[in-house]
Amino acid sequence: MRLTYRRRRVITMASVGKNLALWLFLSFLAGLSASGGEAQTLRSWDDVFQLRAERTAAESIAVTLSITPGNYIYRDRLTFRHEGRDLSVEKPAGEEKDDPNFGRVDIYRNSLSLELPDIAAKGSLEVAYQGCSERGICYPPVRQRIDLVSMNISDVPKDVAETPKETQINAEANLFSSTFEPGSGADSQLLSGGAMMTIVSFLGFGLLLAFTPCIFPMIPIVSGMLAGAGSALSARRGFALTLAYVLAMASAYGVAGLIAGWTGYNLQFALQSPLALGAAAVVLVLLALSMFGFYQLSLPVGLSARLAGNLQNAGSIPRAAALGFGSALIVGPCVTPPLAAAMLYALQTGDAIRSSAALFALGCGMGAPLLLVGALGPRILPRSGPWLEAAKQIFGVGFLAIAVILIARLLPDRFVLALWGVFILGAGVFVGAFDKLASASSWEARLSKAAGLIVSLYGAILIVGAAAGSTDPFQPLAALASRPSEIGSPHDNMRVTRAAELDKAVAASVAAGRPVVVHFTADWCTICKANEAAMSDSALQRKLATASLIVADLTNYNADARLLMSRFAIAGPPTLFVVDAKGVEVKGTRLIGAFTAETLADRLSLAGL
Amino acid sequence: MNRRQLLSVVTTAPLVTAWAFRTPVALAQSVNTSDILNDPEAPTFGNPKGDVTIVAFLDYNCPFCKKAAPDLDRIVKEDGKVRLVYKDWPILSEASLYGAQLALAAKYQGKYHSVHHALMAIPGRKIPKEQMLAAVKESGVDFNRLQADMQQQDAAIMGLIRRNSAQADAIGLRGTPSYLIGPFRTSTLDYSGFKEALVEARRRQALSKR
Repeated sequence: MRLTYRRRRVITMASVGKNLALWLFLSFLAGLSASGGEAQTLRSWDDVFQLRAERTAAESIAVTLSITPGNYIYRDRLTFRHEGRDLSVEKPAGEEKDDPNFGRVDIYRNSLSLELPDIAAKGSLEVAYQGCSERGICYPPVRQRIDLVSMNISDVPKDVAETPKETQINAEANLFSSTFEPGSGADSQLLSGGAMMTIVSFLGFGLLLAFTPCIFPMIPIVSGMLAGAGSALSARRGFALTLAYVLAMASAYGVAGLIAGWTGYNLQFALQSPLALGAAAVVLVLLALSMFGFYQLSLPVGLSARLAGNLQNAGSIPRAAALGFGSALIVGPCVTPPLAAAMLYALQTGDAIRSSAALFALGCGMGAPLLLVGALGPRILPRSGPWLEAAKQIFGVGFLAIAVILIARLLPDRFVLALWGVFILGAGVFVGAFDKLASASSWEARLSKAAGLIVSLYGAILIVGAAAGSTDPFQPLAALASRPSEIGSPHDNMRVTRAAELDKAVAASVAAGRPVVVHFTADWCTICKANEAAMSDSALQRKLATASLIVADLTNYNADARLLMSRFAIAGPPTLFVVDAKGVEVKGTRLIGAFTAETLADRLSLAGL
Repeated sequence: MNRRQLLSVVTTAPLVTAWAFRTPVALAQSVNTSDILNDPEAPTFGNPKGDVTIVAFLDYNCPFCKKAAPDLDRIVKEDGKVRLVYKDWPILSEASLYGAQLALAAKYQGKYHSVHHALMAIPGRKIPKEQMLAAVKESGVDFNRLQADMQQQDAAIMGLIRRNSAQADAIGLRGTPSYLIGPFRTSTLDYSGFKEALVEARRRQALSKR
């Protein structure tokens, strides 16, 4: 089984390269959902002990064994075999551990280094060791072989006499997957070991999220807020403002977690509804206009002053906090996975406070890098002058871009392309595409006009491409250049929007003896789009062809959609899982959030696809 | 044969040979909860109709197993509604395997529990076979019968040990002791730890039934 385990790890490693942070986060989510929220604490020995070896001279090697804190190795169980003979090695004195239960033992902790003389560069050296965790579990003996030529380290296959023959057995993935730690039970305090672990993990994954595109929309908002606060902004003041923003953002997540825990209702979902997205886009456009200095001219004074106040007079901490609270819920397109996790977590533990704390930690983690912008930003920005105005305009353009991103989730792809075209064309005009140049114009003005013209041209091409039916911003004219190609998936997907339709579709497929891949998605869900792209992988399509694919469409988030979600207890799109030919969800196949073709293939193979 | 073909033959031949001579791997089987909880050959104690099952994966050279053994006995006895399944999982030393064989052979004369306790009562972690044998002899077991059963039932005993090992591997247990308590897995617990785990397991079971 350990071998199979490894192999799976290797496969997932391939996808790591693509998006490390997201992958880590999602695998964490997968672990979280599989383990019912309990932290997986006891780790396999290959994470606990690490053997390294290097040649220090022609005839000697240095062996180092790193031991993760909380674990130890028995001195007398560390042995070396060289060329078929036990090697007597001078081992350093260990730490004496006097256990009232089983007497005195010599152990090694942390790390152990040994110099082995008279080891020529041929053949191999076998190292065996065995140890335990302070938590009260003893690991099986580890035997590793060091190739003395290449210094590569490999595992020695298990000895048949010592351990029974390895059989390849696959368990239901969720079998006994929750760990129980004393003190993490129902009566325990919030900050007991398990909960602390959860909070720390969420904090860590928040930090990871901060390095994904999730956080990008927040940087212009924070910078905009600071720029709007005026030129005499000290680093301390900037930090305080950003801190208020970040804490409020984290609180927003915390509140969402609390509500999710209490009601089981997915708040993020409501905020991703067309109405909320549209409203958010409108607000952003208004904010952008205020950045351009337009609002005095066109809007009623009261409303505009309040909107602009958020940015223009953002010197006040409550306003920074309000901005943080609002933007957290509306802006982050990546927030569905953490919220889905919190949902599962809350449903599993019924503990609203803990899921709230976990999400608060996630928000803090996500916001931590913003604090740097807050503290350093004002120093980097010029004290005053026209540059500040230019910066404001850039932020205005940024706000508009975010508004387009939000609206894009509501529109068909073609209109999105046209919308981007319009936006980019407008940006080009602002940069100076159509400004008049005189022979006396400065080189800056000329450069600016050239850039503006190029940008405008691209915007115009996007609009033309959209008119021709393109959706790809990088190949907007492809539709003009080529004949209609195989657009859309090769096999017909069943698209359902109601629980009854889903049941019918599943039943039909079950009757035909075909497993079903159920994919919950929605047009406004950007991650779902990325997932669909991953699913178009040709190898994956062959796998999927042996099953029926049912797309459960949650675009219209109404009572029917909620019923549809509750049918298989899903927290939100994207969620994908396999239902076997008996009509039962195959355990371990459920994927929440973004996935790659490899991870999906992995899960499908669990269902025998 | 050109150089490239030769090269590919030279590199693939050892792989093919290794593949052909590797130990036969059983076809992928699946392990489910019932296989683990209800192996007919696994020694089972406590209340057969109990509402929570504790499955104990143990090794006779595992100090923590020995430390926790009295507490496990006590909780099973005092709770009264716990079903206890022993899974001998000898992973720590060669003598561990021997100990497991002794205990499982004693099952055929209904003495698993006394041999198990005799072995668990030897303090320490590097108990050699001889010391195990001596302890078993003093446990009040019919030793001649034990030896006979150990030989005659070897296939069944080793089969059970392999099944236990495969199950432990399949659910990803890391070492001994590992206890499955209701839906949970855990390692060393003391009496109050077991008690808490049972409370939590019952709460979870009630939740999932609702």
